[in-house]
Amino acid sequence: MSAHTHAAHANEEVNYLNWKTGLWSWLSSTDHKRICFLYLFAIMIFFVAGGIAALLMRLELSTAGPTIPGIVKDPHTYNVLFTMHGVFMIFLFVVPGIPATLGNFLIPLMIGAKDVAFPRLNLFSFYLYVLGAACGAVAMLNPVDTGWTFYAPYSTTTDTSVSLMVFAAFILGFSSILTGLNFIVTIHQLRAPGMTWMRLPVFIWASYATAVIQTVATPVVGMTLLLVIAERMFGAGIFDPSKGGDPVLMEHLFWFYSHPVVYIMVLPAFGVVGEIIPVFSRKPLFGYKMVVLSSMAIAAVGFIVWAHHMFVAGISDFSAKFFSIVTFLVAVPTAIKVFNWVSTMYKGSISFKTPMLYAMAFVFLFMVAGTTGIYLAMLGVDVYYHDTYFVVAHFHYTIQGGAVIGLIAALHFWFPKMSGKMYNERVARIAFAMLFLGFNLTFIPQFILGMDGMPRRYYDYPPQYQTLHTLSTVGAFLNGFGYIFSLLNLLGTALFGKVKAPRNPYNSKSLEWQTASPPIHENFETTPIVNEEPYNYGTHAHA
Amino acid sequence: MLGLLGEQGSDFAYKVDYANDIVTIISVVCTVAIVGAMLYFAVKYRQRDGVDHETPAIEGNNALEVIWTVFPTLVCIWVAWLGYDSFVDLRTPPPGAMEVNVTGRKWAWDFQYKNGKRTTSELVVPVGEPVKLIMTSKDVLHSFFVPVMRTKMDVIPGRYTHEWFRPIKTGDFQVFCTEYCGNEHSKMLARLKVLPKAEFERWLADDSEERKLAAMKPSDRGKELYVAKQCVTCHSLDGSPRVGPSWLKLFGKQGQLASGDKYTADENYIRESILNPQAKTVAGYPAMGMPSYQGQLSDDDLTGIIEFIKTIDGSQKIEVAPAAPPKKADAALASMTPAERGKALVADSSNMCLTCHSLDGSKVVGPSFKGLWGRKEKLSDGSEVQVDAAYIKESVWKPAAKIVAGYGPAMPAMYEGKLTDENLNDIIEYLKTLQ
Amino acid sequence: MSSNAATLDHNVAPGEPPHIHHMDSQTAYGAAKLGMWLFLATEVLLFAVLFCSFAIMRYYHLEEFHEGSHHLNVWWGGLNTIILLCSSYWAAVAVTKAQQGDNPGVVRNFGYSFVCGAGFLVIKSIEYTGKYHHGMFPFGATENFYEFKNFLGLYYCMTGLHALHVIIGMVVMFIYGIKPALRNRYSAKYYTPVELSALYWHLVDLIWIYLFPLLYLVG
Repeated sequence: MSAHTHAAHANEEVNYLNWKTGLWSWLSSTDHKRICFLYLFAIMIFFVAGGIAALLMRLELSTAGPTIPGIVKDPHTYNVLFTMHGVFMIFLFVVPGIPATLGNFLIPLMIGAKDVAFPRLNLFSFYLYVLGAACGAVAMLNPVDTGWTFYAPYSTTTDTSVSLMVFAAFILGFSSILTGLNFIVTIHQLRAPGMTWMRLPVFIWASYATAVIQTVATPVVGMTLLLVIAERMFGAGIFDPSKGGDPVLMEHLFWFYSHPVVYIMVLPAFGVVGEIIPVFSRKPLFGYKMVVLSSMAIAAVGFIVWAHHMFVAGISDFSAKFFSIVTFLVAVPTAIKVFNWVSTMYKGSISFKTPMLYAMAFVFLFMVAGTTGIYLAMLGVDVYYHDTYFVVAHFHYTIQGGAVIGLIAALHFWFPKMSGKMYNERVARIAFAMLFLGFNLTFIPQFILGMDGMPRRYYDYPPQYQTLHTLSTVGAFLNGFGYIFSLLNLLGTALFGKVKAPRNPYNSKSLEWQTASPPIHENFETTPIVNEEPYNYGTHAHA
Repeated sequence: MLGLLGEQGSDFAYKVDYANDIVTIISVVCTVAIVGAMLYFAVKYRQRDGVDHETPAIEGNNALEVIWTVFPTLVCIWVAWLGYDSFVDLRTPPPGAMEVNVTGRKWAWDFQYKNGKRTTSELVVPVGEPVKLIMTSKDVLHSFFVPVMRTKMDVIPGRYTHEWFRPIKTGDFQVFCTEYCGNEHSKMLARLKVLPKAEFERWLADDSEERKLAAMKPSDRGKELYVAKQCVTCHSLDGSPRVGPSWLKLFGKQGQLASGDKYTADENYIRESILNPQAKTVAGYPAMGMPSYQGQLSDDDLTGIIEFIKTIDGSQKIEVAPAAPPKKADAALASMTPAERGKALVADSSNMCLTCHSLDGSKVVGPSFKGLWGRKEKLSDGSEVQVDAAYIKESVWKPAAKIVAGYGPAMPAMYEGKLTDENLNDIIEYLKTLQ
Repeated sequence: MSSNAATLDHNVAPGEPPHIHHMDSQTAYGAAKLGMWLFLATEVLLFAVLFCSFAIMRYYHLEEFHEGSHHLNVWWGGLNTIILLCSSYWAAVAVTKAQQGDNPGVVRNFGYSFVCGAGFLVIKSIEYTGKYHHGMFPFGATENFYEFKNFLGLYYCMTGLHALHVIIGMVVMFIYGIKPALRNRYSAKYYTPVELSALYWHLVDLIWIYLFPLLYLVG
């Protein structure tokens, strides 16, 4: 321990948080654990901004007719709000989401490595994110109202800062690609001795599948967005029919990425749930091999289903039938995961700490998400539901109920490891209850609205939809408070908490819990050697 | 069965509803079963008093994995087939279905029937007969959704898409635009009116408007259109300037365009300026002042207008009858608040307010409505005025009386007899909301 | 160990692999190669979108594409193809030289490749300038451009993006190939940056091999 390590008191251990201090040491750090926090700080800013946009939208929608004339004074403002909500939440919050934060923190630790394969590239990815976010912020000066889907020809002809905004998305995509690349190489090359592929925790498998999608799918949307810019800048005529282009081509190219992106968002959350449930059931993950296989299957099949977003876009009936069938194909592996998680709890020794509550909530929320996805995979039914509130509710169950709940669950579960402190369980559980109730209250009315035919991206609506909208708005605010409380609880504890975390408070078997909480800069005091199967909980029947 | 999707208006709606019902039952059953099992395990196997108890190291069970892979797959296949079955009907119009051409544009739906009859925002069809919509867009993507018929299809510029249904009951039904298309996407509604067959035939055959026009000589036809299509709002016949150039001695006139090039107002120039007004705007006139009439005037209509313009050579005074105020849907209006009614009046294209006054603060031909109410304005004669109800009403009845400094005498005096005092009160209420 | 230690220590003897604190040199080499191959895959996907759009636009506008292609100079395009093929050859030779510890050989061969790259860019500018004078450039475009806007739009996107990658490849060859080789950095024990730079350059060449026939010959 060197003399000039400021935080090294007699009774405080040196760890990655305190071995170097000062803002610059954080901003220039190539330590994957610190980069996790850089990303966490950044994405939370956009979570809050996107959340505020959502609450303003819901306020406006709570009554028919203009509701808050001072703020959402005209349709254009509303349209800007829903665009910003989508862009911020997807590109700036959930896509980086778990991979850039927990992925960064955990992957080296879980495989027994000292860092990712390319630490400087990791930091560079973060600064690409910052650059993309800055471009997006500047684009807000003439805010875009195309929706996060940027469909042509509206996006190629409208007057707002579309070019700058999609360029921001391009840069963010580049950041995502490099992170994915980094993780793939890390998992291939840096596993500790004895950590064979089939001993990897499912979070690693999920991160691996996610990284493959990031690397393969993102370049496609990157180029598509550059083509939108080319068309705006010099009338190239690729997507705009008045210039000989094809708007449906843009939709195909866009969704080729934007369907796999939902798996980028949700696969890591599946991994998180697969880590939490065995620990709090004290049992091995049921069907480990099938869970691993299902992650890879979802990643693979997820690439061939994109046109289920386009059943009424003017594609041929034959294409529609194909994409409908393969969409059902991708539903089955997800169901298998859920069955395996629940089976893990059978004859377990179950405790209900906050992470477990979130994991169990995830099972319910994803059942709703997955089954409502089945509705949308069915051709005749999707014709009715497409572009209605049913779809909006479905994807909020998958993205928020899936990916975001997964992130919150992960932040709670690994909080002791990351911060070295224990948060207050009671506050966390109350926040969880608010979140869960608020979320369902927001979106169940929206399923009903969709069944009643209410279209999405509507600033105003016929009065018969009002009651459900008002209910949904109340739920949205409760949902928001839930997030505020749960995150403030964690933030407050991280900054001011007094209860120290033990090395392994939940008695988990995976590698990251076998080192100090928080870990030292090099992660492990000595390189771990792995000689047992993952999730080695419980008593074997013989010997 | 479960009635989740509301009223069924088409003959294939029940298939969609059936598929929806089945998948709802399956979803609810599965969700309850899985979540129920989870909660059951959670309670039954919970730690008592925080004490960990022994657990068996069960790694998995191959038989279970097979069962819960195969069984959901089979269910999925069945459900996929249900979806496909309802879809096939939706996508297969019967031969001989009555065709209607639909054009989506920002932000209204135009319909044209095979006999030439045109409507906007209202699609009228007979009950019990299949109708096939042949649809295209004039600008960006839109989508034509009729919930009660269970059918929807995107509307794409540069190509045609199809949609069909056979109504099984009469009535008025909602049509939504379901592909985001800009500012007024949520207002791009239409009404589907299903009539008994005989009544529909009468409605369709009612081409009294069209026949009257066709029987006239071209210049008379042009004169009718001058009023009916509201050219009168912006183009005078006596040389006085309005939003657009006067038609007095227009034909053959030479002058300069905003781009600096010269123009000659011959047949081709006039036709182009009606169909694509922004192509060659005359210098000194607002660039975005005139809306396009593309798709709204036939070739005969255009010829008539050109012939009419040729007659305005100053040799005789030409009298035109004022336009009748367009009919409005009273029932919907009655339930609105004054501000909402005012908003509808302002948005109504026949009143043409939005041609010259923006809602977002930008300067077009006239002052923006945004922030207008209650403001102190400086007038062109140097005096100041408070924009109150009296000022607004005066400016609508007599636009030239008190013109705001920086603006020209462009507003037409066309609202006497077109808007009532009550209309103006509503508009004023609306303006108050535009702060 | 020291709290100031960077993760990479560049103060190593020439020919020795750099000290990376969390990987041994064998793992580092494997990681670097895997990383570069993955990155090349993303580049291929990037261009794949353009090739796909080209195919579809050509299907819709066959006449325009045929005619537009005739406005491209096959001779310049062909010369560029030969130039890039030679440059790829020399890049491959540079890798062999690096493996043999022949640092001057690396400098020389990467140098030839670099000059080829520059030659490619010169010819490209000649072509672009010619187009500009005919009003067929996207900036300062005249009716000539708009007559072939679908073809030319994609032509400029594809060749422009490719030219950008040529520039990047040249920069990479210089910074990670030529400059260190001038300090005798490489040997049989360590030549990773040379191999990776050459790999990138080969991709740049390969993309052109597809671009040239598609744009100039098939049209």
